[in-house]
Amino acid sequence: MKKRGKGIGSIFYGTGYGNGFPDVSNACAELKADGKIYVYAGATEVGQGAKTALSQIAAEAAGVKLDKVVLVHEDTSKTPDSGTAAASRQTYNTGNGIRIACEQLKQEILSIAKEALGTNTTMGIKINNDMLEVKGLPDKKISLQELYIEAEKMGKTLRVDKAFVAHTMKMDDETGQGAPYWPYTFATYCVEVEVDTDTGKVDVLKAVCAQDVGRAVNPMLVEGQMEGGFAMGMSWALYEDLGLSNGKIKNDNFSKYIIPTSLDMPEIKNIIVEDPESTAPFGAKGIGEPVMIPAMPAILNAIYDAVGIRITKLPASQQEIVRLIQEKENQQ
Amino acid sequence: MKPSITIGKSELRIDAKDKVTGKAVYPSDIYLDNMVYGYTIRSTMPHAEIKVDKIEALAYPGVIAVFTAEDVTGENHHGVLFKDHEVFCSKKVRRVGEPIAFVVADTMDTARKAAKLVKVAYNELPAVLDPREAMKENSPKVHGDSNIIYHYKLRTGDIEEAFQKCEVVVENTYESSMVDHAFLQPEAGVAYIEEDGTVTIVTATQYPHYDREEVAEALGLPHNKIKILTSAVGGAFGGREDITVQIHLALAALKLGRPVKTTYTREESFQAHSKRHPLYMKYKTGALKDGTLYAMEAEIIGDSGAHASWAINVLRKAGVHAAGPYCIPNIKIDSYAVYTNNPFTGAMRGFGAAQVPMAHEQQIDEIARRLNINPIEIRLKNCFKVGSLTATGQTLEESVPLTDTIIKAAKEIGYEFSYDSNEEVQP
Repeated sequence: MKKRGKGIGSIFYGTGYGNGFPDVSNACAELKADGKIYVYAGATEVGQGAKTALSQIAAEAAGVKLDKVVLVHEDTSKTPDSGTAAASRQTYNTGNGIRIACEQLKQEILSIAKEALGTNTTMGIKINNDMLEVKGLPDKKISLQELYIEAEKMGKTLRVDKAFVAHTMKMDDETGQGAPYWPYTFATYCVEVEVDTDTGKVDVLKAVCAQDVGRAVNPMLVEGQMEGGFAMGMSWALYEDLGLSNGKIKNDNFSKYIIPTSLDMPEIKNIIVEDPESTAPFGAKGIGEPVMIPAMPAILNAIYDAVGIRITKLPASQQEIVRLIQEKENQQ
Repeated sequence: MKPSITIGKSELRIDAKDKVTGKAVYPSDIYLDNMVYGYTIRSTMPHAEIKVDKIEALAYPGVIAVFTAEDVTGENHHGVLFKDHEVFCSKKVRRVGEPIAFVVADTMDTARKAAKLVKVAYNELPAVLDPREAMKENSPKVHGDSNIIYHYKLRTGDIEEAFQKCEVVVENTYESSMVDHAFLQPEAGVAYIEEDGTVTIVTATQYPHYDREEVAEALGLPHNKIKILTSAVGGAFGGREDITVQIHLALAALKLGRPVKTTYTREESFQAHSKRHPLYMKYKTGALKDGTLYAMEAEIIGDSGAHASWAINVLRKAGVHAAGPYCIPNIKIDSYAVYTNNPFTGAMRGFGAAQVPMAHEQQIDEIARRLNINPIEIRLKNCFKVGSLTATGQTLEESVPLTDTIIKAAKEIGYEFSYDSNEEVQP
């Protein structure tokens, strides 16, 4: 018999290294001869979208369009240390380092433009794509490429090095009290499942993922993370099994170690919840890990709602579900 | 407010086109002149003393070198918190899959074949494979005198008194599983020596600057003589935090003066990188008659396997998040990280905080069921809001839209529930 049930999972997640561990993201921003802003940060694009999100933060902070930013992040001899691409920390931590560096670079660019265009104050200058214009006199302008040459003539290098240090404090050794992480990200996922009581097969029919992001730098990338996170959480809940025996992994390839295919995935409705964080770059908090966490508990709660069994051991495999259903029937 | 230039816009991924068209360069795509290939020989036993004989393998046609512990030019170790990985096992293996030797030959196929000629003699030792057993005084020891790496204690309020006031108390034990990151691209890399003597390693990693430190220490070279170039990365999820190919490749390139490449198979990849910590979670949660969560106690034991990796941080994070996103005034949590002879566990997306919701979310549902309260309403009643105190006593000052996520997700999936939007913020 097939039975349906609904389940919910709510979580919070402290981003960054935590517990007072030095959490530093260095970043450097430089205007080069091609009129583009080069940003140097040792932050890895692992597929999460850091290359794009960090470039967007740089462009916004410098006041230029996205195609005027070049992010250099692949070479330890050229980039400062921006910490690991983990702990859901690159958008918030390195994003902040880049934001600070680019805001400062923007001020320095405006100062050169003030000299070059003869205004009294940098407030009289606005950046319009790759042009710096005198406010109210848009024909009086200088391009970023020309500005680079002006700066060279003045003997000035337009390069800014900055570091962002995240707020984190060591907790008390005896009571575990303290402020280990800042900020926290929140999420709630709800699912509907169908359980086949004869075979133990669980189909996730629908998922609704409501994710706090502070502010979405790039909504499409956020949604990509949410769907990937859901797949990973669902896979952990229902499928993945290393077959560990006497310290040896038996299921060591993808014909034996089962992960979902696109056909296993439910319809997913993503809800991005925005509530900007004041210490974050343009309000954006880390979401890389939080997006996968609520899927597993929501599915386990939905299985209970459907057939009345508590999953206390992962994965909730077909065999385990059949066993628990039989155990329950025998007790009744 | 000024409209934004790009923030909030779904810009096309900068790396999308290269990845979709196959132009993105992953380490296994790299071929250099005069390049040779390395294959890693790994332990087949969970705990044993070893002796390695490489004479026969060295005589095999096409074999250029077989590197073992005695060839390591710097410190024969690495590790993110403790240096408890050996570059190559010297006297003992502590898990299946631990690297013992690196065979370098003119082709990958030759390296694999010659690897079978490296004789590893094992003297098997008693292994400990369950962290609960490993905590006992008389258990076999993995490193040093105790298998307990770390104990995190959280204490707030008075749980003894609090449980007595509870209308319902739910007790259960949960076991989360050890799983793999299942990233698409198995580990690979190329190392070569630049004209000025810099040892350059091209690999897919999460933290290039940290890899540089690890390689420098193992090679006995200053940081500025090591360069890490990050290739395109085919997923990571924490599984590329610990060293895998980097030191072996760098050492071989340094010793041979030639570019050296390795590409793991999927099977080897499963053996080479960390896994998710399985947690044994004993939970006791109590609530008052009106559904107010009032007391909770948890003991959490995490299996670190044969190396510590990030175990301290992971089990600390599990402890900090164990109560879930709810205000509970009386809490006692103990979490432990424990060595065993299992595959080592380390960073994986969610990092300790991903496992505990298996317990706290089922506990709160069970409490709701026994008190005949709606599962959405019990969450809305107890969940964090602006001004709430976490279990560690930290005030959440801003950006706490948890209530919003619960209401929106629950409505969309079709739950029926009531909620007073003016409900006071809980202290």
